[in-house]
Amino acid sequence: MFSRRQLLALTAPSLLLPGIAASQRGDAPVPPTYPQVRPGARLSFPADHGSHPEFRTEWWYVTGWLRAPDGADLGFQVTFFRSRPQVDQRNPSAFAPKQIIFAHAALSDPGAGRLLHDQRIARAGFGLAEARSGDADLVLDDWSLRRDPEGLFRTHAGAQEFALDLVLAPTQPILLQGQSGYSRKGPAPEQASYYYSLPHLKVSGAVTRAGRRVDVTGEAWLDREWSSTLLDARAVGWDWVGLNLDDGGALTAFQVRDESGQAVWTGGSLRDAAGRFTEFGPRDVRFTTRRLWRSPRTNAAYPVERVVEVRLPGGMRAFSIRPLFDDQELDSRASGGPVYWEGAVRTDGGRGYLELTGYAGALTL
Amino acid sequence: MPDALPLSLSGLTKSLPGGRVLFQDLSLQVRPGEIVAVMGESGVGKSTLLNLIAGLDLADSGRIEISGQALDSLSDDVRTALRRDNIGFVFQAFHILPHLTLAQNVALPLVLAHAAQREALERADAMLARVGLGGRGGDFPAQVSGGELQRIALARALVHRPALLLADEPTGNLDPQTAERILDLFSTQVRESGAAAVMVTHSERAAAAADRILTLTSEGLVAAHAA
Amino acid sequence: MPPDRALSPTLLRWMMLGEWRARPSRVVLAIMAIAIGVALGLAVHIVNRSALDEFARAVRTVSGESDLQIHAVSPAGFPEGLYPQVARAQGVAMASPVVELAARTDTGGQFTLLGVDVLRAAAVTPSLIGRRPGADTFDSSEAVFQADALFLSQDAFQALGRPVGARVTVTAAGRSAELQIAGTLPAAASGQALGVVDIATAQWLFGQIGQLQRLDVRLQEGADRARVENELGRLLPRAAELVTAETEARRSDNLSRAYRVNLEMLAMVALLTGGFLVYSAQSLSVARRRPQFALLRVLGLKPRGMLRQVLIEGAVLGVTGAGLGILLGVGLAALALNLFGGDLGGGYFAADRPRLVFTPVAAVVIASLGLIVALAGSLLPALEASRAQAAVALKAGAGDAGDPRRAPMPWISVALLGAGALAAFGPPVGGLPLLGYLSIALMLAGGVGAMPWLARVLIRPLRRLRNPAPPVALAVARLWGAPRQAAIALCGIVASTSLMVAMAVMVTSFRGSVDEWLVQILPSDVYMRIEDATGGGIPPEVQARIAALPQLEAVDFRQEAPLRLAPDRPAVRLIARELDPATIKEVLPLVARADIPVGAVAAWVSEPMADIYRLKAGQRLTLPIGSGGTTQVWVAGIWRDYSNQFGAVALDSDDYTRITGDRLRSQAAMDLASGVRPRAVAEAIRELLPPAVARQTDFAEPRNLRAVALQIFDRSFAVTYALEAIAIVVGLTGVAATFSAQTLARRKEFGMLRHVGVLRRQIVLMLATEGALLGLVGAVAGLALGVAMSQVLIHVVNPQSFHWTMETRLPWGLFTILTLALAVTSAGAAVLAGRGAVSSAAVQAVREDW
Repeated sequence: MFSRRQLLALTAPSLLLPGIAASQRGDAPVPPTYPQVRPGARLSFPADHGSHPEFRTEWWYVTGWLRAPDGADLGFQVTFFRSRPQVDQRNPSAFAPKQIIFAHAALSDPGAGRLLHDQRIARAGFGLAEARSGDADLVLDDWSLRRDPEGLFRTHAGAQEFALDLVLAPTQPILLQGQSGYSRKGPAPEQASYYYSLPHLKVSGAVTRAGRRVDVTGEAWLDREWSSTLLDARAVGWDWVGLNLDDGGALTAFQVRDESGQAVWTGGSLRDAAGRFTEFGPRDVRFTTRRLWRSPRTNAAYPVERVVEVRLPGGMRAFSIRPLFDDQELDSRASGGPVYWEGAVRTDGGRGYLELTGYAGALTL
Repeated sequence: MPDALPLSLSGLTKSLPGGRVLFQDLSLQVRPGEIVAVMGESGVGKSTLLNLIAGLDLADSGRIEISGQALDSLSDDVRTALRRDNIGFVFQAFHILPHLTLAQNVALPLVLAHAAQREALERADAMLARVGLGGRGGDFPAQVSGGELQRIALARALVHRPALLLADEPTGNLDPQTAERILDLFSTQVRESGAAAVMVTHSERAAAAADRILTLTSEGLVAAHAA
Repeated sequence: MPPDRALSPTLLRWMMLGEWRARPSRVVLAIMAIAIGVALGLAVHIVNRSALDEFARAVRTVSGESDLQIHAVSPAGFPEGLYPQVARAQGVAMASPVVELAARTDTGGQFTLLGVDVLRAAAVTPSLIGRRPGADTFDSSEAVFQADALFLSQDAFQALGRPVGARVTVTAAGRSAELQIAGTLPAAASGQALGVVDIATAQWLFGQIGQLQRLDVRLQEGADRARVENELGRLLPRAAELVTAETEARRSDNLSRAYRVNLEMLAMVALLTGGFLVYSAQSLSVARRRPQFALLRVLGLKPRGMLRQVLIEGAVLGVTGAGLGILLGVGLAALALNLFGGDLGGGYFAADRPRLVFTPVAAVVIASLGLIVALAGSLLPALEASRAQAAVALKAGAGDAGDPRRAPMPWISVALLGAGALAAFGPPVGGLPLLGYLSIALMLAGGVGAMPWLARVLIRPLRRLRNPAPPVALAVARLWGAPRQAAIALCGIVASTSLMVAMAVMVTSFRGSVDEWLVQILPSDVYMRIEDATGGGIPPEVQARIAALPQLEAVDFRQEAPLRLAPDRPAVRLIARELDPATIKEVLPLVARADIPVGAVAAWVSEPMADIYRLKAGQRLTLPIGSGGTTQVWVAGIWRDYSNQFGAVALDSDDYTRITGDRLRSQAAMDLASGVRPRAVAEAIRELLPPAVARQTDFAEPRNLRAVALQIFDRSFAVTYALEAIAIVVGLTGVAATFSAQTLARRKEFGMLRHVGVLRRQIVLMLATEGALLGLVGAVAGLALGVAMSQVLIHVVNPQSFHWTMETRLPWGLFTILTLALAVTSAGAAVLAGRGAVSSAAVQAVREDW
């Protein structure tokens, strides 16, 4: 399946259009035109919870920690992606793949010792797969993520080995990343996305495993991004971490890596308990590795224990990150997808999610 | 039943399907080691008498006891088993199976009584030696002469130590010299084995080998003269 | 030692090995007879299974292993709005929409073009996912949406002969588009010509916007299939039907089931013939060994033991033969699959060279049949041996134990023949003419059983010959006096001959009827047909322009469409053509006709349709066509049809247009003006048609059509002929074996004859006469029995399995050749066997005991 990183790569210029041209007996194909992400745009809600179908790519990314009645900690992930491929816009077929919806759900259970995961994908249409505009309303077969009139996000994802039925209640205001939601992802100004987060979502609901439904509570994080051009050409991988701090603060940090492992771009933010917002620039974030875990499946070495140093007005602050357990590698090669690490992590005084992509060899796209 | 006679016939009556009476109220007792020759004209029922004794045919009335067991009260299967265990046969036409070896032919009665193959063949070889064919157990019938065939038949008739030996014209197919030797062998072997024997024959010479000579008439068995 | 054991294993071994050492060739023959029977049965079964398996696999590939499938009734498809309804139905895990069209490439290659949604197909029908060269998994990037990417199955790819990356013009549904070969479909079954494009491309480029031909459905795990099918059934519009991979396979199964049953029955015939051979071998062996068995009885072997002895001999023959037969059968099947393909030339499966599917259960079953046949063949001789009067048998020689003056009684045979005749009137069982086959089996048993009686009846006149040559007199006396022995020699040959004659009469009748039908059904000079007229066919204005062509004297435009009358039956063909009741007899081979009410719409129903749907001329019939959904028509007549096995109904062109509003026509029958060449007409018409339609249009002359039809016919019966020939050879081998055995058994008799002054060549002549007489008797009996059985095949088996009838035609030439061949072979076999027996020292034979 698609990771965030892979989706970003989709925004690279495609060579598909000549094919369309030839298929139409010499008539010129009509490619989609994608709007650019620009600074200064004002996000408005609930409209911006909904889909932005003109943009090339968009996601609704929920990660979080759950606690079962027996006290066990679980990590979970429910993500919906929307992509607008470069296909001929003239095709009147209802099946024309003008919008693709895909979704991903994963459960990190230390008891299982590995990541349980499943995915869905479909071209939008027929009410079976839709990302509606106006408010968050995503459906993909039997999976869904919707924001109800009370402002609660409800999601259902029924996977092969587990099912998630969760209600996510915002407890804090929306966190606009970057400059009022304009978040740069590379050296060029157009390498950017509209980006906001909802940290400290209060989670209630149920996790079903092996036919047994268990009520859970917890805390989650929603990331929302949409864009048409994102990554720099040198980028081969991407590290991202989002931490809900126990004091109510929220830390976001990411770096885009090149082939040598050097950061091409970094970014993120800290909103402290008092609501003070600090944006991190390209030199304000540093990821260092404390411990590598080598996957027995792919032989990829992931820096699962890290220290993230961020520049705050009061100086550098380090967050030491440890995984809930090591093997949270997501290996979806069997269904044609990529391999990456996406897992629940702890820090002193906080918990969150870490994403590590581009470690298991170069991904061909 | 050590005390029972090998053969005891009493009040035996047999008629042909057409109604002609072969014999009536026939009686005969044969002691162990005794050879009885039955003579008579053709068609008088000599072979039928042998068939009755062997349990291959049924009498109209009367009683046949083999080693004390009455045949008429028995089922065919039990009669067959009785025949197998208590009676030995020698035929005019030898009836040696062509595709079995001499030893196998001789061993047939033992094998029929479910003796183990090795034991049966060993006893057959010993028996062949007693009739002068020692060491030829592996030969096939095609390799031996008529006289030798009848020696094999005699060996087969005695190999399982039957109480009773039935012989139907044992020398009928043989030249006089060979017949003489076979008869000598016959009487010595029967006496050695302690079996009783009933021999049906036309031949005065053959009958002479017997202890008693009886003539079969429609009236029954009539003693001819002592041998 | 358990005293009740009837048989000593040592004795069994000695007797068996001794006998077989003495007569190895006869044992080998009996074993081979069973082996050949088992081999044929197994081979035919394996081939059928492999073909079915291949077909099922092909169905699964086209349907892509989906649990069930919703299919459009006609190529026009159904509205795509059904897709989300089905996808949301209870119990459905996922639905994959498919556009399915018959397509041609610019080079004339043909394949099934499937427009699929890769994202759905990946989860429902993974075998329809294309692979680009170099990619080792399915491509998850945006390239999967490349609009003009065409993925070809191995077969289509090879047939096209263009590299990946090449651009091809594909024509389907009357439209052409240029596509690029992007890769292959590695998981598609071999033998499948498939091309896969994106579903949106297929809808757009080939005029299918809003329409689908198929939905592949994957069920949720543990879903109640029947419930889901029920639920889906309620959703479906008239244009769509529910098809599970199973029902599709079953339909294909039905398609060829009757054909396969026929073949398997033929193979069983060979097995049965083998059984008769075992019977004759065992009978002779028992007869010859009667004194031996008698001795064993005297020495104390019980009757039960005797029975077992002979039965176990038969069982050993059977087991050995069956084991050998399994090996032989697998080899034979492999060979046949390579030579003929999966349907043994039947033309039912498009897929060629299926993979061999060995079915252990079937192998065991057929081998057991072989064993049973061998045991049954041994049972009668075994009973005879156990019942024999030991004392009598010790004195008598070989030959019929009975009195030569007493004629054998044919009562049991008469009863069997009567039962056989009765069974022929039974209805089909499960759609198969099983009672018909039972009838044939009973007649066979009765016929063979009547042989002693028949031989005696046929020989009797010869006894009145005045002053026959001594050898002839001897031969006649023997055949008359020992008819059971003669019958034993004959049973194998009568069985195989009669079955071959039955098949030959049926095939000859069928071929003649088909030929005649072809002449009648194809009276025009040239026929035109648009392949897969999804686009609709020729519009009225083009029809008018074609009709106005000076090269044409007359033209009849026709339309054909599938019409589903019952949900569980294959569609019948609806044919619209000019049908004038006044001249109907000249255009349709009618077998029945009736008056219908004035003003009613006349429907002309084909014979299979009438049989399947139980229609009679003059009856009313409701067809699911017309604006109101259904239309009442009257069956005005029934016509013979061999081309649409599931039925066809013809309406007059005008009636059809009035009822359906469809003015398009996809076929035409044309009479040419004198001196016009068919090719010229084809050229002229092609120019009038839109280019894409012209590319899909074929022209044919009846001469060619007939030739092709008969060629297909002959090919489909080639294997039938081969099986028959094998049955005959088995039968003849039986005759030769029986003669040689009987002759050997009669050495003493020959020795005696030589002693009394019969010349050696007179004995040979006697044997030749006996052989020839027996051969003739066998031929006469086989012919009579065969013709009787052929009537069951023609009037019971064929109508019940294929729903068509035919008129009996007798292949006299074949009969003559067969009769002569039998007489000559039998005489030859008798002489060959006799020469050996006579040349061996006659004197010695007299002295021998047995």
